[in-house]
Amino acid sequence: MGDRDISVYLRPLLRTTWKAYALLAVALAGACWYFYGAFIYQFFHGHRVTGQGTHGAMWGTIVANIVQLIGVSHVGIAISATVRILQLKRYQQLARIAEFVTLVSLTAAVCNIAGDVGRPDRFLYNVVMHGNFTAPFVWSATVITNYLVGSCVYLYLAMRRDIYLCSRVLTRRRWLYRALALGYSDTPEERENLERTVWWCAVIILPIMVSVHSVYGWVFGLQPGRPGWFNPFQAPYFVLGAIVTGFSGVVAVVAIIRRIYRWEQFFPNRLFKGLGVFLGFVTLLYLYFLFSEVLTGLYASPEAERGVFHDLLFGRFSWIAWTATVGGMIVPFWVLFVQGANPKIQSMKIVVVGAVPIFFAMWGWRYLITVPSFFHPHIPYKLAEYSPTLFDWSLVLATYCFAIFFYTALVKLLPILELPEHFVPARPVRPPRIRLATMRGLGFFKRATISFTLASGIGLIAYGIHSRFDVLTPAPAIWISGIVCLWTIPLQVCLIPGFPSRRHMLAHRARQEPALLRPPRPLVTAVGLAERSSSPAIESWVDRHQRAHRGIRRRARMRVWA
Amino acid sequence: MQKWGMVIDLDRCAGCQTCTVACRTENNVPFCGDGNAWKGRAIFWNKVITVRIESHGSQREGEPSASPGTNNHAGPRLRFLPMPCMHCERPPCVLVCPVRATTKSVDGIVMQVPSRCIGCRLCQASCPYSRRYFNWQEVDYPGTLKEAVNPDVSIRTLGVIEKCTLCVHRLQKAREQARDENREIREDEYVPACVEACPAKARTFGDLNNPDHAVAKLARSPRAFRLLEELGTFPQVSYLHESTWKSESRKSVGAEDEEEIDG
Repeated sequence: MGDRDISVYLRPLLRTTWKAYALLAVALAGACWYFYGAFIYQFFHGHRVTGQGTHGAMWGTIVANIVQLIGVSHVGIAISATVRILQLKRYQQLARIAEFVTLVSLTAAVCNIAGDVGRPDRFLYNVVMHGNFTAPFVWSATVITNYLVGSCVYLYLAMRRDIYLCSRVLTRRRWLYRALALGYSDTPEERENLERTVWWCAVIILPIMVSVHSVYGWVFGLQPGRPGWFNPFQAPYFVLGAIVTGFSGVVAVVAIIRRIYRWEQFFPNRLFKGLGVFLGFVTLLYLYFLFSEVLTGLYASPEAERGVFHDLLFGRFSWIAWTATVGGMIVPFWVLFVQGANPKIQSMKIVVVGAVPIFFAMWGWRYLITVPSFFHPHIPYKLAEYSPTLFDWSLVLATYCFAIFFYTALVKLLPILELPEHFVPARPVRPPRIRLATMRGLGFFKRATISFTLASGIGLIAYGIHSRFDVLTPAPAIWISGIVCLWTIPLQVCLIPGFPSRRHMLAHRARQEPALLRPPRPLVTAVGLAERSSSPAIESWVDRHQRAHRGIRRRARMRVWA
Repeated sequence: MQKWGMVIDLDRCAGCQTCTVACRTENNVPFCGDGNAWKGRAIFWNKVITVRIESHGSQREGEPSASPGTNNHAGPRLRFLPMPCMHCERPPCVLVCPVRATTKSVDGIVMQVPSRCIGCRLCQASCPYSRRYFNWQEVDYPGTLKEAVNPDVSIRTLGVIEKCTLCVHRLQKAREQARDENREIREDEYVPACVEACPAKARTFGDLNNPDHAVAKLARSPRAFRLLEELGTFPQVSYLHESTWKSESRKSVGAEDEEEIDG
């Protein structure tokens, strides 16, 4: 088994082939095209370079892409948080890969929003400083900030021990990991503290994740002015769509990573089968939602509404709709279903063959949610056809180049697999010796800062909401800073040393009375040895006793590897 | 406080587009340049569209035909529908604007602040009347038109939304004049350019809150209707027409032959 060898886990960090550099270079070129080519060109020449128009599609491929990327970002943290809360050990190594997907696609989505608005120079400042409480765009800015900050905090804390191990094990870029570990020294208290904090972060972040995609549903669903959008169903529909998109995206990413790093033992076929079963189930559910929506739109709906859905199924968009639905949902569903129902089949390839068309089909449906409504306005204007220009497509492609670049960089810089607990560095960082009185002081300090942050965070959010109609107050800036404030609490919990633990107290007493160090008091001995022990036998003995005494059993269970 | 509103008599409208031209010159509406009109990017704060009405002889009883040319013949008739901003009482665009670039003023005008706008086009998407225009390209005033720019109205930049403001700069002027002379603003002092220019006197403008004013009387007339009343936006622009306006009977004509004005 490779899981005894840490180099298997850290494969991406240890060796980088020319292929990786080539991929990075190509992706970087694409990203540069996005930022320095397309974005700047559009900034100076206006959106006429796209295919959009006022009487016609005023939103086009890039909005479809924003919805798609937000959808992909949905699932990373969902997988990670679910794995953590439900303790699904088999899927544990999926967590960080998925979290990176979240981080990357959310960033790419924000870049796309900046590429879609007419004045990216004003966009962030005005939304934050002059934000309108009733606008879905402001809600989206709020929830995206919340989600981005929250997932960064969550990702960092969940990765902190691994970064620490990297700083002890790796020879290259040690300074980076040492800086990122922020003084972590892997004492049992620290570990337990970290585990508990990360668990609570997972609990908090799940509803936030649902909120992000609901808001995107409401961007469309709250508009009675456009037929085909006004729909109470839109928010859950978007959340489900996000799960489908995100799962198919994550399946593809995991398959590529497994292929490149030959990590069959961490991502066995049966794991893919499990993902495939779930993906097939949500795809079926999405088809059901879709049917319900289309039936409502066609049956006896208002004329304009019927026009949209007729156009969708039988008109100019029918080829996208039918290709996406049949080729990208129904057929892949059966592929996944056949595998899921047959106990003999366990194959990564089948799942990937099912997942990739689903990803593209979802993109197609995002496009179909956005564009057709513009072709059936309530007032009979002369309309211009929408054909996305080369520029539109290059923006979309370049966004994915940026995402690939960012993702590859993350994989090459940070440990992408969780390092199991049995890896202990040969020369661990010695925790700083702090005097007992200082520890007590720090404990009070920690409680004070956390209470203060909590109070000011809630206060800022409350004040922001309270002053939402005041034109002179930058209400969104206030409540967003409140949210960011609250997200520093998990960091404070983990970074500031608190009150001295029982272990510390005992160690202190042991220094006072050396007689306590005799074996009949194993806990104290354990402490004395744990910090600088060299014998594995003693270490395991120490570990056993510490666990028994400090109630770390739950964590220990979670860290058992298949 | 006033509530400015407009009534447009469709039976008087001849489709001459004078209102459109007057609006363009008054408000410095930019030209969209070559190759943009056919992509639906031409900007019209006021646009006259041609609509086909399927007549079913639905003229109301007891009411004389307002325009002498119309008969109760079966078959479709062409109507011109001048479309300014509707200045809704419950405007969806104001709700969705993320930066408060569009607001409902106290006297009922839906305002647009182009220097605040970020160009997200949510208001455009939310407007059921599609009365908002995005600047898809740099502003262009060909030839001598550069010298004819109205100094009272600021020129919009690339990437922002613009729309009909009921010539609010005229209101500001009239209000200042009235303040100087220490009196209330008179009804006839403030009239938008399209109303002033209409040769057929199809447009009536004034304070809807003043029940004696012609506009309020006309807005209450049985011939009056508002566009898309079912959406609950309560437009302050109403139309007069001798037959009922049926949603199922309207259909665009001339999607191919309608002439767009572009530079």
